[in-house]
Amino acid sequence: MPQLELRSITKTYETDGDSLRAVADVSLDVEAGEFVSIVGHSGSGKTTLLSLIGGIVRPSSGRILFEGKDLAGLSSDRIAEYRAVKIGFMFQFASLLPVLTVKENLLLPVVFGPHAGWSKEKKAEELLAMVGLADKSSAYPSQLSGGQQRRVAIARAFMNEPALILADEPTGDLDEETEMDMMRFFQSMNKNAKTTFIMVTHNTDLARLTQRRLRMHRGSLESENSSGR
Amino acid sequence: MVTLYSFAVKNIRRKPFRTGILVFAIALFVSALVFSLSFVMRVNQSIRKSSERLGADIIVVPTGARGAAEEVLLENRIKSFYMDRSLIDRVRSIEGVAALTDQTYLITVTGLCCSVPESMIIAFDQDSDFIIKPWLKGKVKRRLEAGEAIVGSESAFNIDLGLVEMDSMLFGNRFTMLGTLDKTGTGLDTAIFIGRENMDDIIKNGSADIRPGQISVIFVKVSEGVDPRKVAAEIENTIIEADTMARKDIGKSIIATLRDVSRIFSLTMLLASLLAVFLVWSIFSAIAHERSREVGIMRALGAKESHIVRLFVIEVLAIACMGGLLGAMFGTAFTMALGNSFSLLRNLSNDLETATRLFIAAAGFGIGGVICLAGALAPIRRLKGLEPLVAIKEE
Repeated sequence: MPQLELRSITKTYETDGDSLRAVADVSLDVEAGEFVSIVGHSGSGKTTLLSLIGGIVRPSSGRILFEGKDLAGLSSDRIAEYRAVKIGFMFQFASLLPVLTVKENLLLPVVFGPHAGWSKEKKAEELLAMVGLADKSSAYPSQLSGGQQRRVAIARAFMNEPALILADEPTGDLDEETEMDMMRFFQSMNKNAKTTFIMVTHNTDLARLTQRRLRMHRGSLESENSSGR
Repeated sequence: MVTLYSFAVKNIRRKPFRTGILVFAIALFVSALVFSLSFVMRVNQSIRKSSERLGADIIVVPTGARGAAEEVLLENRIKSFYMDRSLIDRVRSIEGVAALTDQTYLITVTGLCCSVPESMIIAFDQDSDFIIKPWLKGKVKRRLEAGEAIVGSESAFNIDLGLVEMDSMLFGNRFTMLGTLDKTGTGLDTAIFIGRENMDDIIKNGSADIRPGQISVIFVKVSEGVDPRKVAAEIENTIIEADTMARKDIGKSIIATLRDVSRIFSLTMLLASLLAVFLVWSIFSAIAHERSREVGIMRALGAKESHIVRLFVIEVLAIACMGGLLGAMFGTAFTMALGNSFSLLRNLSNDLETATRLFIAAAGFGIGGVICLAGALAPIRRLKGLEPLVAIKEE
């Protein structure tokens, strides 16, 4: 059974009498431990698709099943638990909370997760070391560069050891060298921790490093090709 | 380890000026509330206690002197009014009267008749008295002789200041102050008491504005099981020269005035509450607007609606606690410091008890919290209901 199943997913936004179909009749199966990339133009529906999979947007029609469970049947609290336990989000913008230090930002998902109150400081320090920011744990986001903030957000996505990472242009602000470092980090997490990745990117070179490449065009998903890493 | 509490505290510190303004506004509101409640409760309690402590079921006064008698007995004011002594026997003959005693009020005028500051001199009947004796508690274990006096607890304070000498001239007669009365919590505290035996000498001297055979009040105790109001009505019906006040009716005119004051306070506090709710609402609406993206991020990281509500409620309650504590402290301090600058309070014998002050402070603190929660409710509900993706995309 695939870890993730999308069945004829459509998302339509209604604004001022107009309707905009961001995702149109998308079906997709993703196996556990797979590394999938999605490329496509701006406005093609990539971010909406990730948001649908992450349960932060409800589909207009269709079904999303994660590990066999239909997200549509889950209450708001159960969906939040699903995000806290199963999903790691990486946004396409700096998404750190400014009043928290770097380490506190990493620990924030723990507060919302099932292990709230557990000391996970060591785990946070390990993840910071993995993204090359071991010395910045007490710094505030405003004291970091855009690239450093992006790496903190990447580390944060792994705090609750999620089964699926949803990464929306996660390396957008990074220089080429750091971008490759992060890609290697993703690959090692994918290989060693068996974490499933769905990554949206504009960078076709990065997409080529993934197991399966998909293209999104006007809300529809097309398979580009499949290749080994 | 970051928790919702530490996160909330950091959020409160994020904009110290804005937080300070909100705390200050809540503190002001709670101060005003504590002050108003203290004012109204002090007057109410004082009147109730004073009337209870007088120990009489009915007070008989000359016709038209009801207000003046209340002012003397409840507000420590200096007034005199007289009626004929023969009324004592007429009151005694009314059915239901178990005991009675009379008092006569004289006013000293410094320099003209007396060596004491302007005071109330009360001549009482030592044989029938049941008003003064309970407050002597054996301090003076014999009858007062002619030329002997005891002073109320507040007047005793004047003795310490040297304003009342141990031997004082009262209406041309020398009096020795034998001791002080315990605090009664009534208008008796500021008076000087002498036996009725002295009245002949005082009247002879001619410096007191009183004629022979006059008294000021008759205190009446009714028989057990008899309704004092019925007896009071009977006295008024039978004796046209007298007005009466049953214990429960004492202080009615002050309470009626107080009712208007209470209404004004209530209306003012209602408007202040609405203003405070509006202020909290506007500030938290601004906070909600500024932080909707952060809320979206938190929701994407797994925060439930309840996490968002708890986070903001902690922030609101922390601000309410700070403002409420400051307001309760300042309100109590203002009440104690400024209370006596209001004539209505200055003349009252009873101050609020510590327990009552604590109750009022706690009530002010609690109402401050409710006001904060009421103001922040709508913005918090809006944040709770935000769709995470929409919130994240908001700039």
